[in-house]
Amino acid sequence: MRRLILIVALLFLLSACGSTGVDPGAVPELPATTAEQIEAIINDSPGPVVVNVWASWCIPCRSEAPLLEQAAESADGVLFVGLNVQDDQQGARGFIAEFFPGAPIDHYFNPDGNIPVALGGTRGVPMTFFYAQGGELVNLHAGVIDERTLALQLDEISSR
Amino acid sequence: MEFSLLGAALIGVGLVYAVLYWEARRGIAADCTRDLWDIALSAAVVGLLVGRLAAMVSNGVNPLTHPADILIVRGGVATGPAAVAALATTAWLGRSELWRVADGLSAASLAGLGGWHAGCLVRGTCLGTPSDLPWAVAQSGSTITRHPVEIYAAIVLVAGAVILALLRYRSSLMPGAAAGTALVVASAVRLATEPLRPAIGNGPVGWYVLGVVAGMGVVTLSVRRRRVARES
Repeated sequence: MRRLILIVALLFLLSACGSTGVDPGAVPELPATTAEQIEAIINDSPGPVVVNVWASWCIPCRSEAPLLEQAAESADGVLFVGLNVQDDQQGARGFIAEFFPGAPIDHYFNPDGNIPVALGGTRGVPMTFFYAQGGELVNLHAGVIDERTLALQLDEISSR
Repeated sequence: MEFSLLGAALIGVGLVYAVLYWEARRGIAADCTRDLWDIALSAAVVGLLVGRLAAMVSNGVNPLTHPADILIVRGGVATGPAAVAALATTAWLGRSELWRVADGLSAASLAGLGGWHAGCLVRGTCLGTPSDLPWAVAQSGSTITRHPVEIYAAIVLVAGAVILALLRYRSSLMPGAAAGTALVVASAVRLATEPLRPAIGNGPVGWYVLGVVAGMGVVTLSVRRRRVARES
């Protein structure tokens, strides 16, 4: 049993050492943006808006990305915005290629990470803002989001 | 944030221990309670690990290239593979006296599951789909009242555990009957509450149906075994 645990631990370490980023491939460069532009997108959207703040080096962001992708594909009338912060273009594009392939999410680039603070959040990632139509901030979720919380908040912003 | 998950897990584990302790005090499987406790904990840990790995793979996250992600339990645990892994672990560790171990863990497992669902009170995650029923509750800052779906599940599971423990104490059930009944109750509760849970996409309903069918199969087998034994 002890030998088995040792082998599994070694395999884990080796696989972690061999980990490489995914080739960004056809993912275009993310457009740089400002807090004013993001606020305009939120206020002018014809429906509710979800703004997810992420970074390629953030482990919890990887965990929640497939859930957000699924939600973006299934939630009708909700605009999903991805805000990449404190990152570089290569890492951000690689992350999108690996975890958001084909998701209907509009991603923006904010290397100094000041936009989430301007929107009322913090510099932590991941973070998800939920806006009702018209730009009212309904909820700010700090940390990795789970399926239940995401579904409830989508309900909330869609019903206002 | 993860500490609230730990709190819910502790409530579940505490109830497993409480039921095993109660049963041991009343002479039900008293000679192997320590083993049952060890088996229950091992099965829970293996189930959690396998469920998390399955959730990662199904979400397109490679556990070999991103091993640290396994720790982000809040990112998702696949219920079906987790349950199968926990059952397989129980079967493997208790293989020398399978039915005794399975029956011995039946009421405790139901209570533990009930405790995990009741842990929503610690996590603040009790509410489900919108409802106008008198006992529906709105979360703070919202006007939408919702089913307290996790409380429904907790009540039925804990009630099932109490009934099963009393049945095991007051009558001699056929080997496997308690384990099969527990599997049916646990799966049926999830199956019945699934439409009330807020979710993105469809839940793993197929796994819950499989659990009900497998549990009923175990109960049927144990009844037939008893009948054959009586006739011979």
